[in-house]
Amino acid sequence: MTSAYRHTTKWLAIAPIALMLVFVLVPVLNIFSTSLRLDSFAILSATTTRNIVWFTTWQAFISTAIVLVIASPIAAVIANFKFIGRRALISLVSVPFILPTVVVGAAFLELLPRSIHRSALAIIIAHVYFNVGLAVRIISSRWQQIHPQLDDAARTLGASTIRTFLTITLPLLKKSFISAGLLVFLMCFTSYGVVRILGGPARSTIETEIYFRAMQLGDVSGALVLSILQLVVVGILIFLITNIGKAKASPKFGQTVYSRMHHPRSSRQKLLVATVAITTAVAVVTPLMSVLHRSIYLGQRFDTSAWRSVLVDTEIFSSLLTSLRYAIFSIVVSSIVGLLGASAIVYGSSRYQFVNLITSIPIVLSAVTLGLGLIITFDVNPIDWRGSWLMMPIAHCLVAIPIVIRIISPVLRDLPNDLRDASRTLGATTWQMWRTIDLRIITPALITAAAIACAISLGEFGASSFLVRRNNETLPLTISRLLSRPGDSIQAQAYAISTLLIVVCIGIIAIVDYRDSNERGI
Amino acid sequence: MNQNILKKTILCAALLAVIASACAKGSTNNDSSTGQTDTSSQSESSDQITLTLLAYDSFTPSENIFDAFTLETGIKVEIALGGDAGELVTKAALTAGNPQGDVLWGVDNTLLSRAIESKIFSAYKTKNIDDLDESALKLVSNYDASPVDTGDVCINYDIKWFTDRKIAPPLTLRALTSASYANLLVVPSPITSSPGLAFMLATIAEFGEDGFNEYWKQLRQNGVLVVDGWNEAYYTEFSGSSGKGERPIVVSYGSSPPAEMIYASPVPATAPTAVAALTCYRQVEFAGVLRGTKHEREAQLLIDYLTSVTFQEDLPLTLFVYPANTKAKLPAEFLKYSLRPELPLQLDPKLIAAQRTVWLDIFTNTVLR
Repeated sequence: MTSAYRHTTKWLAIAPIALMLVFVLVPVLNIFSTSLRLDSFAILSATTTRNIVWFTTWQAFISTAIVLVIASPIAAVIANFKFIGRRALISLVSVPFILPTVVVGAAFLELLPRSIHRSALAIIIAHVYFNVGLAVRIISSRWQQIHPQLDDAARTLGASTIRTFLTITLPLLKKSFISAGLLVFLMCFTSYGVVRILGGPARSTIETEIYFRAMQLGDVSGALVLSILQLVVVGILIFLITNIGKAKASPKFGQTVYSRMHHPRSSRQKLLVATVAITTAVAVVTPLMSVLHRSIYLGQRFDTSAWRSVLVDTEIFSSLLTSLRYAIFSIVVSSIVGLLGASAIVYGSSRYQFVNLITSIPIVLSAVTLGLGLIITFDVNPIDWRGSWLMMPIAHCLVAIPIVIRIISPVLRDLPNDLRDASRTLGATTWQMWRTIDLRIITPALITAAAIACAISLGEFGASSFLVRRNNETLPLTISRLLSRPGDSIQAQAYAISTLLIVVCIGIIAIVDYRDSNERGI
Repeated sequence: MNQNILKKTILCAALLAVIASACAKGSTNNDSSTGQTDTSSQSESSDQITLTLLAYDSFTPSENIFDAFTLETGIKVEIALGGDAGELVTKAALTAGNPQGDVLWGVDNTLLSRAIESKIFSAYKTKNIDDLDESALKLVSNYDASPVDTGDVCINYDIKWFTDRKIAPPLTLRALTSASYANLLVVPSPITSSPGLAFMLATIAEFGEDGFNEYWKQLRQNGVLVVDGWNEAYYTEFSGSSGKGERPIVVSYGSSPPAEMIYASPVPATAPTAVAALTCYRQVEFAGVLRGTKHEREAQLLIDYLTSVTFQEDLPLTLFVYPANTKAKLPAEFLKYSLRPELPLQLDPKLIAAQRTVWLDIFTNTVLR
């Protein structure tokens, strides 16, 4: 138990709890209490509902399994080797995660053979594409902290590379695999845009069905019933997955800020690094190229007019600035609140586990339910914030904070207490102890979390599209608005902005990652 | 220890209940929209008033179109976008009486009954009423909302595809089930797309509530492709657009051909696509004063402006719709390429509201399962 900070937990937990209470729990309880009717529960007995739940669950499981299998070698290479382009590769794998689904959906339709258009397979492929980066980041930031001496020791004792991996590395990585798997699963389970575009109209998940009920049929009550169903199903699945994780506690030693990375030594290692890096880069870049292609070709003809009009359009420039502003807001707020939340969960006694629960709600809950809750809650003076620009960056943070917490807390939890005890013995204050030990060790995870919070904000579409926008349109919203309008040159403009968004994302993530490597002197 | 947890849980629950009930009370109080709201509007009236015009995401009139209104009345207009038309109506229904804006633009005839039943509008008879399209006016009783534009959802086809192969393009809905058009049609789903819904309604208007199921069975046997949205149908699957898909027949708008011409660079010599006039379903969009606005009178002035000739003449080239004001003149390039069906298919909004779910279920079972 991490008792050193126990008495401060109370204060740490205030910000995350208050934020979730005001912007999630109250709105959601409000919409349930005003709009839920008991007779809507009849939907639960329908065969269609059962089919939808089943489809939602199995596609999410399979997507997650594939994500973890593909992410492992990439994370291994990133965590273990120094090579030219390593930093670029880290930034690149995170890009798909932030791209608006409308854009990548269209790119995938162009790339995938027609025979698998609008199939479960297309959904799974896109889910894998979107989420591998998330898993790679979580797993590799933990992997980097395994002390290389552990491997060396095992090898000196005669263990093969594979045996070392299975007996030393894998058990130490288990928690990060579980937290990555859980996050990816939630993303796939509640995904919306991918299912609609790539699954076609015949396939629906709980999330798309909630949207359809509330928005197209106006049956808000029915949508709320499905929303409860989604919470219950996800709740059960999370419980099962976390308990499997608990079955054998992972060892708590072997953490360090020391870099385990080295240049690939043998030719086998060189081949491994090259293969993984190149394959990953090609797989990530191909759909992006298709987006670029659509922005410079009208029909079959090369044409840069879309780019020319996008680059001089002041409205698009102001969307870009709005996106950047919200991204910065999200980095700051989500990282701080997320760090506080993770600290409360890890440092606090078992009764602070409800912080974990409360902060999971935004990703498990359907965006429709939360969005509708917000507009009927903040509707009276002095808190008629429905039209306030602040709602959008707050919505971005609500989506990002649960993920930030899940990235930071496993690292914090595995931190051995003997380091803290030592510093206490040497007379450090609690603050000094936290700053010199905890903060230093979680810095890589914190930076990963900041990058993901930034990415989420830049690409966020679902929650943002529910809020009323005045002059605060973000780039994904602009893209989707243009895509819904007729005219070739307008379509090309949408893809030019998408390309712009991709470039901005790669840039920002690269900056964040650059700081990361600088601080650790790599 | 245990008691401590219990205490905290109770405290939390109590706090929650207080906040939740405060919020709930707040919104019901405002439903009656008296007292407090009046004083605040009085104090504001000395300053310049800014109206919020709620609209769907694709509402993109000319940039300075409201300057004339501000000049004339001293009232500013701010556009607030909030999703597609269905989302707007759902949100307006939940906030009826305490709306997020003052005027709502863009409720179409498939959503009109739901909007009126949810009592989101405050009735107003615009001073331009005599100039507005009569058939559109008939759709709404009590002046709850005013028609602002009309458009048609029609079968579009790729002219070159058919001339190259010397095949006659399809002219009627019935023709689409014939073997010569097998695997050529792509439609957006009525479940997720508004033109898709309009097309399904067209088939109901043409073949009746009893016959449309059979018609869609035949379309399915003939290889119709149903996709999620209009963009995907038109720009990914349709061969006549820049997407260069494989299917030469698509459900789109009657104004798609002029849009293809006006937003092309360079402008082609002849239109690449055409419309089958007998397949068109008429969509009418409405705007109305939102009930509970603090600026009722000013909002009414805005409705007058939205239905005025000045504003209406801006619509064809920005939203690609026809003005509802019959006095508004159409631009030459729009007239040249667009097609205005004389007898478009139409259904009663009340019938749509009552049967929508049933029809969509039938569609789902026949076409998607």
